[in-house]
Amino acid sequence: MTETALTVTETAQPKLFGARVRRREDPRFLTGRGRFVDDIELPRMVHAAFVRSPFAHADVTAVRTEAATTTSGVHLVLTGADAAARARPIVCDSTIEGWQSTQYPAIAAERVLFSGQAVALVVADDRYLAEDAVELVDVEYSPRPVLSSVKKAIAPDAAPLHDGWGDNMFIKRHFVGGDVEGAFASAHGTLTLELTNHRHSGIPLETRGCIADWDPAEELLTLYTASQTPHLVRTGLADVLGLPESRIRVVAPDVGGGFGIKGHLFPEEIACCLASMAVGRPVKWIEDRVEHMLACVHAREHYHTIEVAYEADGTVTGLRALVHVDCGAYSVYPWTATMDTGMVLGILPGPYRIANYECRAYSVATNKCPLGPYRGVGRPAGCFSIERAMDEVAHALGMDPFEVRRRNLVRPDEFPYTSVTGLVYDSGSFLESLDLVIEDGGYAEMRRLQAEARAEGRLLGIGFACYTEQTAHTTNEFIKRGVPIIFGYDSAIVRMDPSGDVIVQVSSHNHGQGHETTFAQIVADELGVPMESVRICFGDTAQTPYGHGTFASRSAVLAGGACVRAASRVRDMLIRFAAEVMEANPDDLEVGDGKVFVKGSPSASTDIADLARWAYHRPEKLPAQMESTLEAVASYDADPGSGTFANAAHLCLVEVDPDTGGVTLLRYHVVEDCGEMINPLVVDGQVHGGVAQGIGGALMEEFVYDDEGQLLSTTFLDYLLPGTTDIPSIGVSHLCTPSPFTLRGIKGMGEGGSIAPGPALASAVADALSPLGHVFVNELPLTPERVKAFARAAREAGAAAAAGAAAGAAAAGTPRSEAP
Amino acid sequence: MKPPPFDYVKPGSLDECLDLLSTRPEESKILSGGQSLVPLMNLRLARPQVLIDVNGLAELTGERRLDGVLELGALERHAALATSPTVRAATPLLAEAAALIGYPAIRNRGTLGGSIAHADPAAELPCACVALGADVVVRSSAGQRTVAADDFFVGHFTTSLEPDEMVTAVRLPATKPGEGSAFEEFVRKTGDFAVAAAAVRLAVSGGRIHRARVALAGVAGRPVRAPLAEEALTGEVPSEELFSRVGAGIASEIGDGGGADGEGFRAGVAGVLVSRALAKAARRAIEEGADGR
Amino acid sequence: MAGSRHRVTMRVNGSEHSVDVDSRELLTDVIRHRLGLTGTHVGCEHGACGACTVVLDGSLVRACLVFGVQADGADITTIEAFGNSASTLHPVQQAFWDEHGVQCGYCTPGMVLTTVKLLEENPDPSEEEIRAALSGNVCRCTGYVFIVEAVKAAAARLREGQDPRAEVAP
Repeated sequence: MTETALTVTETAQPKLFGARVRRREDPRFLTGRGRFVDDIELPRMVHAAFVRSPFAHADVTAVRTEAATTTSGVHLVLTGADAAARARPIVCDSTIEGWQSTQYPAIAAERVLFSGQAVALVVADDRYLAEDAVELVDVEYSPRPVLSSVKKAIAPDAAPLHDGWGDNMFIKRHFVGGDVEGAFASAHGTLTLELTNHRHSGIPLETRGCIADWDPAEELLTLYTASQTPHLVRTGLADVLGLPESRIRVVAPDVGGGFGIKGHLFPEEIACCLASMAVGRPVKWIEDRVEHMLACVHAREHYHTIEVAYEADGTVTGLRALVHVDCGAYSVYPWTATMDTGMVLGILPGPYRIANYECRAYSVATNKCPLGPYRGVGRPAGCFSIERAMDEVAHALGMDPFEVRRRNLVRPDEFPYTSVTGLVYDSGSFLESLDLVIEDGGYAEMRRLQAEARAEGRLLGIGFACYTEQTAHTTNEFIKRGVPIIFGYDSAIVRMDPSGDVIVQVSSHNHGQGHETTFAQIVADELGVPMESVRICFGDTAQTPYGHGTFASRSAVLAGGACVRAASRVRDMLIRFAAEVMEANPDDLEVGDGKVFVKGSPSASTDIADLARWAYHRPEKLPAQMESTLEAVASYDADPGSGTFANAAHLCLVEVDPDTGGVTLLRYHVVEDCGEMINPLVVDGQVHGGVAQGIGGALMEEFVYDDEGQLLSTTFLDYLLPGTTDIPSIGVSHLCTPSPFTLRGIKGMGEGGSIAPGPALASAVADALSPLGHVFVNELPLTPERVKAFARAAREAGAAAAAGAAAGAAAAGTPRSEAP
Repeated sequence: MKPPPFDYVKPGSLDECLDLLSTRPEESKILSGGQSLVPLMNLRLARPQVLIDVNGLAELTGERRLDGVLELGALERHAALATSPTVRAATPLLAEAAALIGYPAIRNRGTLGGSIAHADPAAELPCACVALGADVVVRSSAGQRTVAADDFFVGHFTTSLEPDEMVTAVRLPATKPGEGSAFEEFVRKTGDFAVAAAAVRLAVSGGRIHRARVALAGVAGRPVRAPLAEEALTGEVPSEELFSRVGAGIASEIGDGGGADGEGFRAGVAGVLVSRALAKAARRAIEEGADGR
Repeated sequence: MAGSRHRVTMRVNGSEHSVDVDSRELLTDVIRHRLGLTGTHVGCEHGACGACTVVLDGSLVRACLVFGVQADGADITTIEAFGNSASTLHPVQQAFWDEHGVQCGYCTPGMVLTTVKLLEENPDPSEEEIRAALSGNVCRCTGYVFIVEAVKAAAARLREGQDPRAEVAP
C-alpha cells in the first residue's frame, strides 16, 4: 500500500527546481547517436513484413503461402491460424456495465475488420525481400458489408460486427447530474448544436517498430520496441503468449515521438514474437509510413450534439450532450475503447460552474482502424463543444464572449471545486488566465489589425478558448474509468554508487519530455549532489521498477514524485551514516553542495562521495544495522488520485480568404498554468508542441475513409502535417497556481497545448467571417473546402438578416438600415 | 516501403541512352530527379523493370538562347530554374513556377524534363509550359520531334511520349517588351501539391491587352487553357473589374464553381487565382512596357 | 531474382566507402545499414518529411529518394560529419542545444543539416527565410518555435566567427 502523502523535504538549497536547464539528453540527438529501434542490429536478425487486408470487412477464406515460403531468402510465413494456435487475442475489457468485448488477434484468421489489418506475416533476409514475398501470399477474401461510419453502424438494421454483440456499441455511458429538465424548462434560451471532430492521430515522425528475440535455450523473450509503456507491453505480452512476465524483457530505446499512440500493445509486436519463436532468430519489423496510417492507432473522431440552456445574463444553467465516438474495430490495450467517451463525459462542462448536466456517450464499433488515446484524448473534442457553445450563447445574447466566460468560470474562491461529474478541480487560475491572455496575447492590437484589414476588404479574425485539464490522475480516477489495469502510480529506484554518483531507474518512458534532465534536477536537489552526477535510466523492464510509462500528463508528478521519494530515503541513509561519522544528531544535519553538513555550520561537514565510498568499501564505518546498499525503491500515487488540474487560455489571430477557403494563422498566444515547473524550458517546449499538433488537427490533419472503408489518406501527400510556415511563433505566459498535494505543487501539462487550438481557430474563423454574416463553425479540420462553405453560409445568413431587417424596418415604416 | 527489383543502367551519352530506351521501351523508365518517380516506386505503384539514369548526361543540361527562344535542357533542376538570371529574365513565368515546387530539397533534385514527362495534373511546370506555349523536344533512337505543350499533356500522368521516347529539352518563347506573366497557386500548406494553379501571360500595348494566354493546373487531368477567358481579355483595357469578371467566368468555363466540394471547389479556386494572376501580370506588363526593356 | 548489383564507391563524411548494392537499395538503407551511420533517419520513404536529409554533392537531398547505386562517386555529408560529443559541437548543434530545439531527436539530424546549408548560403536569414528553408523538415514535437530560435542563434554565432568547420568523424 503506497503512502498517500508525499512529504517534500525542504532541502537547504533547492537550486535546480525551476531552473531553465539545458537538456542532458541532447548531445546524442544532436550528433545522430540516438538509439532508436531501427538502429539496433542483432546477430542473425531477420526482417518482417505484413500482408494486409485490402478489404475493410471480409471473411478470409484461404491463405496460400507456398509461393512465398518457397522463395529464396524467405524464412517463414505466419498465418492467422498459426498465430491463433500460439497466442490469445488481445482482449481489453472495461469493468463498466454494458461493455461488449472484442478479441483483437495478432494476425487475422477468419475475418478482417478494417482495411490494413494484418492477415499474414512474412519473415525474410531483408525487408525488400519480405515485401516481395508479401506479394506472393495469395489471400482469398469474401467481402462483407462495410460499416464505414458511425451513422451506418448505429442504423437500426446494421448487423453487429462482433459475434455475440446485440449492436455496434462497445459501451453506452449515461450520466445525469443536477436537475437538467428543470434547467432547460426554465431557461431564458436554449441552443442545440452539432459538432464534428474528424479522425486524425499523433503521427510521430518515427513509425512503430520492434525486434522480437526469443532465446530458446534460456526461454527468455526480449522485445525491443518503440513504446511509451514498456511494462504494460510486457504484461500484455505475458497475457497473450501465456508466458510469465519473468520470462519477458521489454526494452524501449529512444523513441521518436509517441503522443499516446505508442502506448499500446500492438498485434504486430505479438506476431513478431511468435515469428521469433518459430525461426529461433531475432525478427525485426519496422513499420512503413503507409502501414502506420492504415493500422496504427487512430484518434479523435467525435460527433457531438450539444444542448445548452442559458439565462439572459449569459449564465449557462444546463448542458446536455449526445456523444458518438467512432472507435474502429477493436478495443485497444491497455486503455479499452472507453477512453474518449469516458473522458468527454467527465470533462465536457469544462472549467465552468454548470450544475445541471446530462451526457450520453457511446463508443461505436466500425470497420476502421482502432481508436486510441492521443494527446488530450477526449478533451480536445470536449473543449471544442463547450467553447463553441459558449461563443454561440454569447452571439445569441449579443454579449462579449469573454463576458460569457467570466460569468461561468469557476472563481478563485470556489476552489477546490467539485464538478457536477465529480471531478475535483483542486486549484486553478481560470479567470486570471483569461484576463492575462487578453493582455499578453495583445488582444487590443489584434482588434486594431482586424479593423485595418477590414478597411482593405481583408478578413482577419480573433478567437480564443480555455480549458482545465485533469493531470496526474491515478488510482481513484482509473477505477472510475473502468480500465482493467489501474495506472495508479509510477516507481523509481535511486542508487548511489561508490563514487557518490547516482543512478535513477524510473518506470516512466521519456520520449522527448526531458526526463533525463528534469528528474536529475529534482533528485540532485533532494540528495544535495550536483546534477551532473545523477543519471536517469528508463525503458528496460529488466532494469526499471514496475510502473506504467509516460502518458496522460503524469510523469513529472508521478515518476518525478517516485524519484524524490526514493531519493529522500537514500538521503536519510546518508544523514544517518553522517550522523554516526560526525557524532552528530541526524536532526541537525542536511545535504547540499555534495556534502552532509550541520545546519548553520556548513564547515562541519562530510563529503557525500566519502560516505558513498565508505558504505561500499569500508562497511565497518557504518552504524550498526545499517546495510551497505545506498539504494531505495519507491512508488508514488498522487493522493487523492483524482488528479491535479492544470488550466490554460489560448488566443489567436487568423486571416481567412473566403474565395479560396484558405486560413492563415498569424498569431498565437497561450497562458499556461501548470503550477510550479521543474524546468520552464521543457514546459514551454511541450506547450509549443501540443499547440502545433492541435493546430494541425484544427486546420489540416484528417483520415478520410470512403464508403467502402478504404483509407484514402495513406501518405503525407494526402495527410498533411503542419510545417514551419504553418505554425507562427507561439507566445507563452505562465501563471502559477500550485497543486495543494503534489511534489512542490507541480501539475502535469504535456497534453494541454493540444486541447484548445480547435475551438480557438474555429472561433477565429467565425469572427473573420462575421462581417459577411453569422455562421456556426462546427467542424474540424477547417479545410479550405469547409471554410469556403462556411463563408458561403455566412453570406447567406448575412443576406437573410439584412432582408429580415429591411422587411422589419419597412413594416415599421422606418428607413432601411445598413446590413450588418 | 521498398521498391520492387529493377535493372539499373547509367548510359554515358544521350545516344547510348536512347538505344537503351529502344531495347525494352515498355519496361523502362528514365530516372532524372526521381522526386516523383521514386516515391511511386517505393509505394510499388510504379514498377519499371529497367531504370535508365540520365543524371550526368551533359547533352541534357544547359540554357541556350536562340532567336527569341530559350531552350532548357531536360535535366535542369527546379532550383536552378528558380534562381537562374537567364531564366528569370527570359521566361520569368517558368522561374516563378519552379520556385513554388515542393521544398528546397525537392527542388535540388527535381528536373524540368522529369516534371513534364511525369505530367501530374497539379504540377507547376507543365502548367507554366502550356501558358508559355512551349515546345517539348522529344527524341528516340529513331529521331527527334517537337510537340507543342498544348498537345504534349494528354491526361492524368499521361503524355504523348511513345514508350521509346524521352524529353531532351524544352523550348520557350522569351518574353518581349510589354509582356507580363504571373503564376498563382493555392496550396493547403507550403510545399503541398497545388489544389489549383493559374499561369497567365499578357502582352499589353497601347494600353490594351493584345494577347493573353491562361493555363490552369489541378482542374482537369492535364493543364488546360481557358480560351473563353483569353478571348474575353483580348483587346480590353486592363482593370480590376475585367480581371474579376474573367476570373468569375473561369468556373463556368471549366466546370461548376458553385459547389464547395471536389471539382467545383477547385474550379472556383482556379477562378480566383486567375483574377489575381491577371492583375499581377498586367502590372508587370505595364512596367515592362514603361521601361522599354 | 531480377535486379542488378553494383559496386559503388562513395565519399561519406570525408571517408571513402565501397559497397556492393542491389540496384533498388535506397541510399537511406545504404547509409544506415551498410555503413552503420544511423544518424540519418527514415520517416516516410516518399520524400515528404525531411528526416532523411543528407548533403549530396553539395546540395540538400532526400536520401530516401536516391538509390544507393546513384551515389557512386558522390560526396555525401551526414550528421555524423559534425561534432560527436558535447564538447565538440558545431555552432548549429550547440545552438539547437542551448535553445531547446530538440525533444525526441528524430527530426534533429535533418534539421541540423538543413540549417548548416541555409547558413552557408544565407548567413543572416530573416525569420521568414528560416521558416521557408526548413519548410520541408517535419517536427511533431517542438512546434518549431525553439528550432527557429536555434537557427537565429546559430546564425549569430557563425557571424561572430565561431569555427564552422565540421569535425569529421573517423
